Amino acid sequence: MNLVQPITLLICALGGEGGGVLTEWLIEAARVAGHAAQSTSIPGVAQRTGATTYYVEVFPLALTSLQGRRPVFSLSPVPGALDAVVSSELLETVRQVGNGMSSPERTLVISSSARSLTTAERMVPGDGRADAQRLVDVIRAFSREHQVFDMGAMARESGTVVSAVMLGALACSGVLPFAREHFEAAIRGHEDPANPSRATQASLRGFAQAFDAMHQPREHAMRLRQMLDGGDAPAAVAPPLPDTVRSRFPPAVHDLLSLGHARMLDYQDAAYAALYVDRLEQVLQAEREVDPGGVHGFSTTREMARWLALWMAFDDIVRVADLKSRASRSRRVRSEVKAGDADIVKVYEHFKPGVPEFAALLPASLAARLTAWDARREKPWALALKVGSHSVLGMLSLRLLASMRGLRKRGSRFAHEQALIERWLNAVIAGMAEGSWRLGHEIALCGRLIKGYGSTNEHGKRNLLHVIEHLAVAHKSGSSPQARAEAIAAAREAALQEDSGKALDAALVRHGAPPRPVTAQPIRWMKRPPSQARQEPHAHSR
Amino acid sequence: MEVSFSKEIEALRLGAGQTFHGEGILAITKGLLQSGVAYVGGYQGAPVSHLLDVMVQAKPYMDELGVHVEACSNEASAAAMLGASIHYPLRGAVTWKSIVGTNVAADALSNLSSPGVKGGVLIVVGEDYGEGASVIQERTHAYALKSGMCLLDPRPELAQMVRMVEHGFALSEASNMPCMMELRIRACHVRGSFDCSDNVAPAISTRALMSEPAGFDYMRLAHPPVTFRQEKLKGEERIPAARRYIVEHELNEDLPGSGAHADLGIVVQGGLFNALQRALQLHGLADAFGESAIPMLVLNVTCPLVPEQLAAFCAGKRAVLVVEEGQPEYIEQEIATLLRRRDIQTPLHGKDFIPLAGELGVEALAGGLGGWVARYLPQRADAGANDLLAANRDRRAAVAKMLETPLPTRPPGFCIGCPERPVFSALKLAQQDTGPVHIAADIGCHAFGTFEPFSMGHSILGYGMSLASRAGVSPVMQRRVLSVMGDGGFWHNGLLTGVQSALFNGDDAVLLIFKNGYTSATGTQDIISTPDEAIKEAAVDKQQSLVDKNKTIESTLRGLGVQWLRTVHSYDVAAMRSTLTEAFTSDFNGLKVVIAEGECQLERQRRIKPWIASLLQRGERVLRVKYGVDEDVCNGDHACIRLSGCPTLTVKDNPDPLKVDPVATVIDGCVGCGLCGSNAHAATLCPSFYRAEIVQNPRWHERLWQGLRGAVVRSLQTA
Repeated sequence: MNLVQPITLLICALGGEGGGVLTEWLIEAARVAGHAAQSTSIPGVAQRTGATTYYVEVFPLALTSLQGRRPVFSLSPVPGALDAVVSSELLETVRQVGNGMSSPERTLVISSSARSLTTAERMVPGDGRADAQRLVDVIRAFSREHQVFDMGAMARESGTVVSAVMLGALACSGVLPFAREHFEAAIRGHEDPANPSRATQASLRGFAQAFDAMHQPREHAMRLRQMLDGGDAPAAVAPPLPDTVRSRFPPAVHDLLSLGHARMLDYQDAAYAALYVDRLEQVLQAEREVDPGGVHGFSTTREMARWLALWMAFDDIVRVADLKSRASRSRRVRSEVKAGDADIVKVYEHFKPGVPEFAALLPASLAARLTAWDARREKPWALALKVGSHSVLGMLSLRLLASMRGLRKRGSRFAHEQALIERWLNAVIAGMAEGSWRLGHEIALCGRLIKGYGSTNEHGKRNLLHVIEHLAVAHKSGSSPQARAEAIAAAREAALQEDSGKALDAALVRHGAPPRPVTAQPIRWMKRPPSQARQEPHAHSR
Repeated sequence: MEVSFSKEIEALRLGAGQTFHGEGILAITKGLLQSGVAYVGGYQGAPVSHLLDVMVQAKPYMDELGVHVEACSNEASAAAMLGASIHYPLRGAVTWKSIVGTNVAADALSNLSSPGVKGGVLIVVGEDYGEGASVIQERTHAYALKSGMCLLDPRPELAQMVRMVEHGFALSEASNMPCMMELRIRACHVRGSFDCSDNVAPAISTRALMSEPAGFDYMRLAHPPVTFRQEKLKGEERIPAARRYIVEHELNEDLPGSGAHADLGIVVQGGLFNALQRALQLHGLADAFGESAIPMLVLNVTCPLVPEQLAAFCAGKRAVLVVEEGQPEYIEQEIATLLRRRDIQTPLHGKDFIPLAGELGVEALAGGLGGWVARYLPQRADAGANDLLAANRDRRAAVAKMLETPLPTRPPGFCIGCPERPVFSALKLAQQDTGPVHIAADIGCHAFGTFEPFSMGHSILGYGMSLASRAGVSPVMQRRVLSVMGDGGFWHNGLLTGVQSALFNGDDAVLLIFKNGYTSATGTQDIISTPDEAIKEAAVDKQQSLVDKNKTIESTLRGLGVQWLRTVHSYDVAAMRSTLTEAFTSDFNGLKVVIAEGECQLERQRRIKPWIASLLQRGERVLRVKYGVDEDVCNGDHACIRLSGCPTLTVKDNPDPLKVDPVATVIDGCVGCGLCGSNAHAATLCPSFYRAEIVQNPRWHERLWQGLRGAVVRSLQTA
């Protein structure tokens, strides 16, 4: 009985990445090289941005050596019996590994390090992204050999689609008994080799790039490491910090402190920066008392340096106008939209300020009257604006708004925010004072709940206050500081998990705290009367 | 339908001595022409869409041959079309996605099968079963059994598939039974080759017309009293005739194999042959060329079965295994009956070893086979297959353990710039005003609204059924009920089963119609409300949506008596939100129809890309729109993503060293559909979104004006 087995390849791609073309190339290459081959796929509606797979079998012996016998190929991949898995997306590669496709004894895994984030990962209020490091670890652990590099980047460099890069990497791996020319002939197809079309040239470039990259394990290893270190994430450059301030804090805090200090100056003024430093110093003292040896490396003060700065520099229309009217910003936009030097770029800002945004800049009494008026309306008032920041008028109005820093300080919101910040700050200090470093630390980390603008911002503050109210403060729940610290951590994680707040309330209840009070939300609907009150069918009657 | 099948159409012209290279479904299409088919129809749907798409585009060549091609409005009309072969010696073929399409066609199929056919009839059904399937998991086999049709299930090898097409017509003519051919998903997309023969122009055709209709013949009507006679004919004449043909032409393959275990046998559906072969290889019971140690009977025709053939195969064997996919196990049951009647005591196995539910891939088969082999070939039990299966189980567990949390799924979703996404954004917002409503969902791209981030829809009862499926809900619900329907579903049957019924009964209902101009989920085929080619040609700005140019849906609804009708541009989220709110709260108690108007983005891009390219090539002015997010303004809460889900609106590491949560970002591929801006306004999102209009090759006065304006703006900016 003949024991020769076909070579088996699983190809994973996302819709529109040319997985179909790739399989066509492979079949054509096999034909050119004189080998029997078969491919199948299950596209269905996967072309609509979903993930899809293609399966290819190639017989290792040339047709001529088979005396007219034709091998029977399988239409579906056999988990654990694959020679190679080639995939254009890291998580999809791991999905197939998880399906048992890759075998540590047999399978070569060639995968892109690039991530195309799933909706589930993107929609999380916090950070829902899968841990790339762990994904690569899985590939490493369950493959005979693995090649992980950024196929997307390579495709962009050669101005082609990822399928050409996948073919190049596969061709170089030596899994298939074909020569480089066979693959390149497949890409050319029936075109005249003398003058190939532009698309073909691009494909050949991408193919060559990948083929050669596979020959350079060092550069390739570097790409991998880069990817693992979070790629080209910019290192934080700490702006200068006045020695008078620097000397008051341990070195461990300096980097974030200087960032925070600079943020205060950029946001408001020197006095505000001084307030920031004083507040942080209170935290430092409290931490020193509970942890004199600095066992925890002053990480509570460190974290407060971060979250305090972000809260104190709360976002308002003045801040937004300032950020959007900087030269650096219009340069960034030009590069983001890949505009050529000769191109004209018009930028329109989408604003929809409501009464709260304006009330924020008014004194408390006026603000109260305005908000009361707004509350009486059926729908809250808001002004949908599309400001062209490329136009003179647009830029003028942005600069005008940005120049209202002074108003901000006298405005109602400023006072309100400061009061809340103090409550949170005191909770952190009180936690430490209770003799529990952990409790103070967890409360400090809750600064992460405060984000952005309008409803999102209100929402975050409500959650934070509720947590402080019911978990941080001792007299409410009799439980130990340690227990409360854990409860607060759990609540924070839950709040960052999803936006409906269900998870948060569940976490609160689990730790003996009441769920957050339901905030009233008016809804309009037509209550249909029961049938006896119903009119006769109006359209037709029998 | 702006995809080009020119390459495939060339392949259809191949003749004797030439070799066809391509996909299974294309080979089938070629087989139809080689069989002298006179008319072809059907309704699109994976995995058989290409058959019809290619034929429709190959119209000039079809006219050459005299073959009529009809893009039917649904599967029922496709099946009814086969009536042509009742009286006339015309070979006809139709195609659709099964099980769903066969369900829709069932009435006509019964009325076709009862009188029987004179000209050969072949129904090519895409058996949408197992991995990659998008419909309910049921077997088409039941229809063949109950209506008395032949069911072909060819070995998934191109030459064999084409051979079975040709025999299918002949079998149909020999037995007067319509023939169905079931093709599984992977068989439709399998790439291989076969040696062609010449296409045959039909004797009677659109080029050679019949001069006279057939004479009146009551026996050809599906109408009492002849229906009683016709029922008898099925058992007395047609099925026996079919069996004779099957045996004479050896449509089923009796493979003795190497003879190593001649005292055992396996009966397998043709379509499963390759998977079974690989499973046997894993157990060391077959080689790479399909030579098996166990004799095999490959059923390329699974209905009707040939009792004599099966009895002869089973007689005297130690045991026989029936490898059959899905449930119920009709074939196994029939074999059991015929063996019992003949008092043949051969032990019969099937679903006692083979999984009852799910696709029979190699792994599933190897597992089932393992138990059977262990029982009848104990010396084989230690073969590698069991080790492989065990290793797979352990590895899956190990990976799951290493990952701790399961990986997020990646279901298909709305395309970048899809006009249907904004409507679900609006629907999400509208329900904040009106409270949650019961949503009767439907088949089509809009069914992606059932996935994150929208997760909307309470039921799906079939294509175009959403409005009908709320008829029992809305009368007993205080709040209004929403039915979602695409224009594809509307024309497929929603107009009659839904709209007509709701109007007739004076129901208080809300219908939301997605008017994107095509049956997009099946591959953007044209429908009666598709904008005309002429209009597309004439359009100066090729980027604009053109579906508003065709008012067939609106005029149809008005003509039917719809009094409350609103048409809203899909991308205007605020307007859609208020229109939906109005529909939910209006004191008008009849049928309220909201038409969401926005052309399928896939089709638009196929039009736009070459147009833009040509403009740039000629150095002419081009306006490109892209949306963006200011990374320092974005609040990192991702509310915008929960309201959109667009693949190009994603997240990246926060560039601000103080912040930790990732910020939203718009990546390359954004087509500037406008949803981001529209949502930012409608939902009062954070002010980080900007709309950038990039003018390439600006005109001289634009450059001049920009020069002056730019200077002033720069002078105003801070660093």
